[in-house]
Order: sequence, then structure tokens, then C-alpha cells
Amino acid sequence: MNQTQNKTMNQSQKLMVFVLTMSLYGLATLFTELIPKFQVGIVEFSVEYFLFIPLVLAMLFDPLSAALGAATGELVFSEIMLGQFGGLGEAEKFITVTLGVYLAGRLVRDPRNTRMVGIAAILGTGAQLLMGTIVDICKVQFAVEDFEAVAGLPESVFATEGFAFLNDLLFSGILFCLLPTLYLVPKLYGKIEPLLGMSPRTPETAAPALSAKTLAGCAVAFVCAVAAELLATSGLELIDWEASWAESGTAVAVGMIAAAVLALAVLMVMKKKAEAK
Amino acid sequence: MMQKLSENILDKFSMDFLRSQVLKNAYGNNDTVIAARDPRVLLAWYLFFGLVPWFVQDMTFLLGCFVLVMITTLLARVAGLVLLLFGVGVFSQTGYLLLVTWLFGGDASAIMPLLILTLKVATISLASVTVFSGLDPDRLANGLMWYGCPERLSFSISYAYRILPMLMEEFQNVLLSYRLRGNPPAHDTFAGKVRYLAYQVKIIMYAFYPLMLNTAKRSRTTVEALEIRGYRYAATNKEVRRIKLAGLRLTWDDGIFAALSLLWVAATLLLGTLV
Amino acid sequence: MGIIEIRDLCYTYPGAAQPTLNHVNLTVEQGDFLAIVGNNGCGKSTLCKVLNGLIPHFITGQFSGEVTVSGQNTLESDVGTLARKVGYVYQDFENQIVRPTVLDDASYACLNYGMTDYLDQGRRALAQCGLQGREEEYVWQLSGGQTHLLALAGAVALGPDILILDEPIAQLDPGHADRIYGVLRELNETYGKTILVIEHHTEYIADFCKHVLLLKDGQVSWMLPARQALARVEELQSCNIFPPQVTQAAHALRERGLLPAGTELPTTVEEGKAAFAPLARKTALPHPAAMPRDHGPEAAALQGVTVSYRSVKGEPRVVFDKLDLSLYKGEKIALIGSNGAGKSTLMKLLVGLLRPKEGTVALNGTPLRDTKPEQLSRLISLVYQNPEEMFIKDSIEGDIAYAMQVRGVENWPEKTQALLERFRLTELAQRDGRLLSGGQMRRASLAIGVALNPGILLLDEPTANLDIATRREILRTLNEMKEITETVLIATHDMQLVCEWAQRIIVLCGGKVVADGTRDEIFGNTELAARVGIRPPEIFAMGRALDEKALCYTVPEFLSQFEGADA
Repeated sequence: MNQTQNKTMNQSQKLMVFVLTMSLYGLATLFTELIPKFQVGIVEFSVEYFLFIPLVLAMLFDPLSAALGAATGELVFSEIMLGQFGGLGEAEKFITVTLGVYLAGRLVRDPRNTRMVGIAAILGTGAQLLMGTIVDICKVQFAVEDFEAVAGLPESVFATEGFAFLNDLLFSGILFCLLPTLYLVPKLYGKIEPLLGMSPRTPETAAPALSAKTLAGCAVAFVCAVAAELLATSGLELIDWEASWAESGTAVAVGMIAAAVLALAVLMVMKKKAEAK
Repeated sequence: MMQKLSENILDKFSMDFLRSQVLKNAYGNNDTVIAARDPRVLLAWYLFFGLVPWFVQDMTFLLGCFVLVMITTLLARVAGLVLLLFGVGVFSQTGYLLLVTWLFGGDASAIMPLLILTLKVATISLASVTVFSGLDPDRLANGLMWYGCPERLSFSISYAYRILPMLMEEFQNVLLSYRLRGNPPAHDTFAGKVRYLAYQVKIIMYAFYPLMLNTAKRSRTTVEALEIRGYRYAATNKEVRRIKLAGLRLTWDDGIFAALSLLWVAATLLLGTLV
Repeated sequence: MGIIEIRDLCYTYPGAAQPTLNHVNLTVEQGDFLAIVGNNGCGKSTLCKVLNGLIPHFITGQFSGEVTVSGQNTLESDVGTLARKVGYVYQDFENQIVRPTVLDDASYACLNYGMTDYLDQGRRALAQCGLQGREEEYVWQLSGGQTHLLALAGAVALGPDILILDEPIAQLDPGHADRIYGVLRELNETYGKTILVIEHHTEYIADFCKHVLLLKDGQVSWMLPARQALARVEELQSCNIFPPQVTQAAHALRERGLLPAGTELPTTVEEGKAAFAPLARKTALPHPAAMPRDHGPEAAALQGVTVSYRSVKGEPRVVFDKLDLSLYKGEKIALIGSNGAGKSTLMKLLVGLLRPKEGTVALNGTPLRDTKPEQLSRLISLVYQNPEEMFIKDSIEGDIAYAMQVRGVENWPEKTQALLERFRLTELAQRDGRLLSGGQMRRASLAIGVALNPGILLLDEPTANLDIATRREILRTLNEMKEITETVLIATHDMQLVCEWAQRIIVLCGGKVVADGTRDEIFGNTELAARVGIRPPEIFAMGRALDEKALCYTVPEFLSQFEGADA
């Protein structure tokens, strides 16, 4: 008998999980993009969170593929398809979603253990939200000079951001992440794996427990996310654009116009020539 | 608001409409001036108009950029839904502040910074709408690949458009099952409406259970077919990448497009220094 | 040596107790057109996946034996190399298409394997598959049959010597099915491809295939030339495969001694004519007779209904233009017409999923727009073509109970049990619907459909994708259901179902009702059948070949003409 079990297999399984998560989470985010959010007082209600989809799949299958699939799905379906691409700022969301889902998926060693699933779901969601909150606080800190010096500012920023975090975690987190995950994981366990030609996850086949190295990797990724976000949104003060223009602006602008006109003329002539051939 | 929302999610919200808008947006406008541009040029163009406005405070320059991206958006013949989303997006970010300030008689000093901020947001959004909606997804994917984006992202983009109509139809049918067989709470009173909304949200969640299983079946065939059709072979092969990108060709028109944009920016700069 | 050589192949899926393929030995010659038949779960698809290397390279499991394809040992080569030798078209072929445009998809594999002339290869494949002129179209613009041809073109593009198709015509109307087989014959005869099809439509096997391979419990029973194979009526029937009706009829006649014992059984209508014509026909088959139609009160009515779909580009596509149609209480109606004639759209209109641009749809006299969707479910119920979309709970018991449970129907647990019993699902009650076999899935979806006891039941292609045996079983279930459902409308391509079940037949063509009447009126009208591409069951055509005005819809009816009063 020839037992075939090789690397190709794992690669293609990962691709399946990636494709599955991408399609489903992408579809879900496409809807959330279209459903309006609304605020009652300070509490924001939004059906923003379909994060349970990648969470469930990350707990049942390869966590990294599910995490990357989810982030890609969101990027492709809701940002690119609807033309709502926000530039570099999207990197933050991409990385935090990936990390949150990945961590939750790695935490669950046995999907039949409901308590573990619950803890992982809320931790994954919490991690994603917390990272978002930290990014937000950094943004303000970065944008406002002498953040510490303004009386009451740090406190109020921490208070509002902290409240938003708790609200999201308790409202979206529990309603839209924890409960659906707890509902779906036991129902899907043992049913969805054979459809993809895999065997269900057990403590023996699960990836080894989270190591310090993995966590350090996550931290590095998170720092990248913060950097990207800051670069994207708070770069306003980096260059004092106006000041430099005040003096020699006219001359430079005239120079640029001349160059553009020249380029345009040359291109037109070249095009005519090319067409004449 | 609550009422509107509760009625919107399942009843008035037509999946067919959404599907046709997304597809229209992707493929319905591939004969426009924008769609004919080389994706690399457009992406570079986007890099400028998607970033630079953030760093500039000059009103004339911003206005100039805004007008330019508005023209390109019109040229790209973007679908209505996307424009609507753009409008809602800008409004919810800064637009409503601007409106409120203006209505309550805020003076120029209060309005000006808000106006600038709104212009920035609008310009950047429209630039992205032009590029990401105006361009055929496959050309966009190729353009991104040329700039070194992972192969998997460009595959995802094309595949997303392929799978979306099928997924939506399936989702629609599953929701229809719930709609025909379920028994939603009456929604005449306010409390009933809240319950109805909660019910609908719950149904959407539940709907993902069958959807996950059905999609899993599909994914398996798809990935097996991808395997046969050499997807993984191509992903690691430099030569294939080269062949794929050979389809990208700069034309004189691309140069003219870039030069015209440059001319426009330079002109607004000049105007800004003169005012 | 054959193009395919299999020596002592055994294969067990991971986690499975029994081997799916058990000591298979097989040789297929270059240029053959081979039909693989067998029971559900006898290993047909598994065998095909062995040939293109998906097993064992992609799907693991226990594999032993030797498989050689075009001189390549599949164990020693990889999936990529084998893909250029063996093309594969899945049963759920639409999931195989990964690119949005036609040419793009056809040339995708060539591009991936780094052929610089990939576009030309794609174009050539499209031309070979009869899709020239559609290169620039988007996949969603294609009909079901064209999508299948595209999947085939995607496989042909790599220039494989062998093509494998898993149930290529399961979801197609006869017109499209003929086209697929026409293309396959062309590929076989003109381009010298070896073709393997998994097929249970034996009429197509008789018309197109050269050899038939019977698989039974993971083993090869035999491989014979198509004619000889189809003549083994009893053996085939024991495996739930039904030979062409002509062959069945001839077999029955031979059994009764009306045909001489040694006669070779006919497999096509032409051959049948030669075989049956000399026989004495003692009883004349009924001829068309005008039947007065009386009907009950109106159950559903469409008045001046206009529907159009938004298209991605250009003008919306009009499906119905001022359509008028009434369905009466107690009718058993079949809705037929080619793919894209508007059958599904009509059903969607009736359940309120689609709203007409103009005109009204009314149920029991009440316009649909005054009825809330959740109240509708007591009036009308729709069973989808794809039963998987009906399963929203994790067990079929839960699915059947759901509608009754949320409505607080009295005694719903008992009613659920009764339905499970009635549809022979009691044993499977706790299973997830998706994991059942095709026939069980259908039965479960029918049970869900009738759970609320709706006045009108709509069934979209209830026998699509099923083998003949399962189709018979569903037909039996449908006949049993006649007493518990009042008005039933079935959209279908399955003419046997239409003939044996329907009382009224509505023919849709290009969004118009082109005919509406009894089976005698519809099938008796040769001109109509030719115009809208309806194909009556083979036995009907056989009857007609002998007697121009004859009307017979089943094999026993056909046989009755050879029996006198004494028989």
C-alpha cells in the first residue's frame, strides 16, 4: 500500500480555505458596506461585524489561510469592487483583521471544546478591536503637538476611545462574533471538513500552541499597521507645503506648465506619426 | 432611522440590483477613456491624487484636483451605486459637520478648515473610484502585479468577480428560504420594529451556515480545477508572469493622459500662487 | 498498448472503511468514445480522478496498482504534466470556470503553463467546441449549455489526448445536449481525441458512444461495444441503469417470444423500426382526440406581465412581454421549454421573488403585492432546482419542521414525523441535507416544500442531475403526492416525467406561451415539437415511426399494441 501524503496536499488545502474565506467574508463585507450605521447617543450600532465567518473557518481549518483570505476578501470585495479603496489606511485594517483571526484560530486546539471556542472568539475580536483603538489613539497623539501638554486631552482621548472599544467589544463582539461562532463551530465541525476533503481538527492535528516567536511576529506586523495608518492619515504636518510655495511657487508652476505643454505637444506629434505609419 | 433600516435589509434591498450594479461597475464601462488607459499609468496617477491632497492645505490646488478627479470619474462612467456610496461616505466623514456648521451660521474661519477637509476626502475618494471602478478588474490585477503585488491578490480580484454573481444568487436563495418559510415578528409598533430588525439580523447570521457548507463544496471543485489548470505552477513561474504582463502596453494616449493631468495640476498651482 | 492502462488499481479514500476502487484492470484504446456507467457510488468519478492524477497527487488516500496514461505512469508524473494529457470537465462545471471572460478562461491553462501563444490556443479550443464568435463575452452571459462548452474548451485548450466528462448533459435541454454530444463526436472523429463520459442517458450512449464500461462496487464488470452492452438489459437494470426504451421494448418482446430468441436488440429508433415493423400490431394505439377541458376556480393568474432583467451593458433583456396565464385549482401542470425560455422567471414571479415591471400576479384572486411574503408560504411553495439551497438547518428533520415550528402549527412534531415517514426519510432525520445522496436530497426538499400544505406547489427541475433509477423514484413520490397537494406546477426538461405525470402542459418559448394543452395535444403536434425543440420520450417517437398518429408514452403502452385480446 502506498500512503500518499505530501506537501502539495497541504498547499492545496490552504488554497481551498483561502478561497472559501475570501468569498464568504468578501460577500459579507460587501453587504456591511451598504448597510447604514446609526448612532443612538454615544453608542454606535452597526452590523459591521461579520468577523464570525473567518473566525469559524480559522478555528476549523488552517488559521493563517483563513485570516489572509478574510483580509483579502474584504479588500477585494468591499474596497476595490465598490471603489472605496482608502489607500494606505487599508493596510491597517488588513493587518489587524489578519492578526485577530489568526490568533483566534491558533488558540483553538479542539473545536469541540465550546469554552475554548468562546474564549478564542472573544479574544480574537478583542485583539482586533484593541489594535484598532491603539491605532486611533496614536493618530491623535501624532497629530496633536504636545499631546501631553494639553490639559485633559490625553484623558478624554483615552476615555472616548476606551468607551468605543468596550462598546464594540460588548455589542458587536458578543452579538456578532461570539454568539454566531459558538453557534456555528459545533454545527459545522465534522461536516464541512469532508466537503473539502480534509479530516476534522483534533488536539493531535492542531498546530502547536502559540509560541513566543509567533506572538513576536504578530507584534511586528501590528507595528507595521500602525506605521501605515499614521503615514496615511497624519502626514498632514510633515511638509509645510504652503510656505515653500510662497516664495518661488510662481516660477516653478510656470516651469511645470511649460514642461507639461511641451510633453503634450511631443506626445501628440509622436502619436500622429505612429498612426500615419 | 431604525424604521428605515429595518425595512431596508431584506424587503427593499434587491440582491439583483446590487449584483447588476457591481458587475456594471466592473465590466459595463470598459470602452471609456479611463478603461483604455494602461493600468500602470493609472495606478501611478492614483498614487499622486490619492496621497498628495492629504499634504496640501491650499484651497485652489485642492479645488483644482477635485475638479480633475470629478471629470475623470464622469469619464469612467461609474455605476450609480458606487457614486451613492461615495456621497454617503464623504457625508458621514466630514460633510455633515460642514453642513451643520453652515446651517448654524458658522463664519468663514469655522467653515474653511472643514471645507478643505471635505475637499481632501472627496478628492481622494473620487481618485480611487476612478481607478478601481473605471478599470477593468483584470487589467487592474495585471497592473498591481506589475508593481509587485502578490500573485494571490491579483488572482483574488479576478476570481472575486467570477464568483460574486454565483454567491449572491445562492445567498439570495437561502434568504428566500427563510423568507418563505420563516415567520418574522409583526412590525407595526416600534417595539415590533426593533424585534423585526433583530430577527432579520439573526436570519442573515443563520444564513451563513448553509452558505458556508455550499460554498465549501464549490471551493473544492474550484481548487481542484485550478490545480489541473496550472494555477500553482504559474504562481511560482517568472516566465508566466512575464507573458501575463506582456499584454500591458503603453500607448501615446497614456502619455497624453499623464501630461494633461500634469498640466492641469501645474495650472492650478500657478493659479494658487497668483491668487 | 492502449492509451489508458490500469493494472490492479485499488484506492481507498482517507478515513473510508471500504476501498472505492477494488482491483480495477482496464485498457482503453486510442480514439475510443467510452461511456462509463454504474450505480451511484460505484466509483465512476473516482476512477476518472485517478486518470488525471488528482488521485493520488491531490486527494490523498491509500493507492496501489499502476495507472499509465499516454505512456506516463501517473504516480511518477505530476498533475501539471498529466493535465496536458487528460482534460477533465466536472459535473458542477460552473465552479471550474475561474475567469470572467470566455477567451480568458479558455486560454487560462495555456497561460499558466507558460505557452506564449496562449490566446491562439484558447481561440482554437473555442472554435473546436463551437464557441467561436463569443470570445469577448462574459461568462454570465452564456447559457448553461454554452457554459459547459466553455468548461470543455478550457480542457481542450491544453491539447490533451484524452477528455473526461462527468455527466455532461445532466442539466441541459435536448437541444443543448445534442450540441454537446455533437461537439464531442467532432473532437473524437476529426481531432482524434479519446473521450470518456460518465453518462446515464442511454439514448445518447446508443447514438454516440463506441464502448460501454460497467462498474460495479468499485470493480470492472465488463467493457463491451455499445450495442452489445446496451442489449444486456437485465444486467444493466440490476445496476439501476435503464437501456434505451426501444431496447427495453424489444427485450420485452423477445421475452414474450414475439421476437425470435437470437435477435440482436435495436438501440435506436431507426433500428427499432426495422425490428418492429414486421410484427403484427393487433391493437391500435389511441389517436389524438379533442378533449373538452373543464377546470376549477383560478388558483393563480398572471395578467399582462412584463419582466426584464437589467443587463450589464445596453438595453435590459425582456423575458416576458405582456404575458397572460391562468393556473386552475387541482391542475397538475408541466412547464416545458428550452433553457432560457423563462421557466424559472415565471416561478420567481409566482412566489413574489420578482416583481413584474407591468401587469399583476394574483393568487386566489388577491394580487401578490398585497400579500406579505411570510403569508405567502401558506398559499404557495417553491422547491428549488438546487435542493442544497433549501437546507437551512443542520438536520432534515429540523428543516421540515422549521416552517411549522415558527408558525406554532398545532402538533408540528407529529406532522414532521408523518412527513418524514411519507417521504421515507425517517432513518435519515438527523442527517444534514447536503450530505445525503441526490435522490434523498430531492425527497427531503419535496417534504420541506409541502410542509405547510400550500395550495400551490412549484417544483423547479425536480429530476435534474439524477440517474434514471432515482428519477423513477422521484416520479413515484410525485405521483403519491398528488393526493396531498392541490395545484402543482413543475418546470422540467424530463419528458418522461411530463408524459407520465402532467395533466396540462404549458410550452414556453422566447417568453411566450406557444402551446398549452394535454400531452396528446402537445406531443401530437409534430410541427410544434420541431419548432420549440421539444423531444418526446424515445418510445413515443418509436410509436410514431410505426404509426404516424400513434400516441404512446410508456414502454408498456407501446407493447400493448402487439398483444391481442388473448395475450
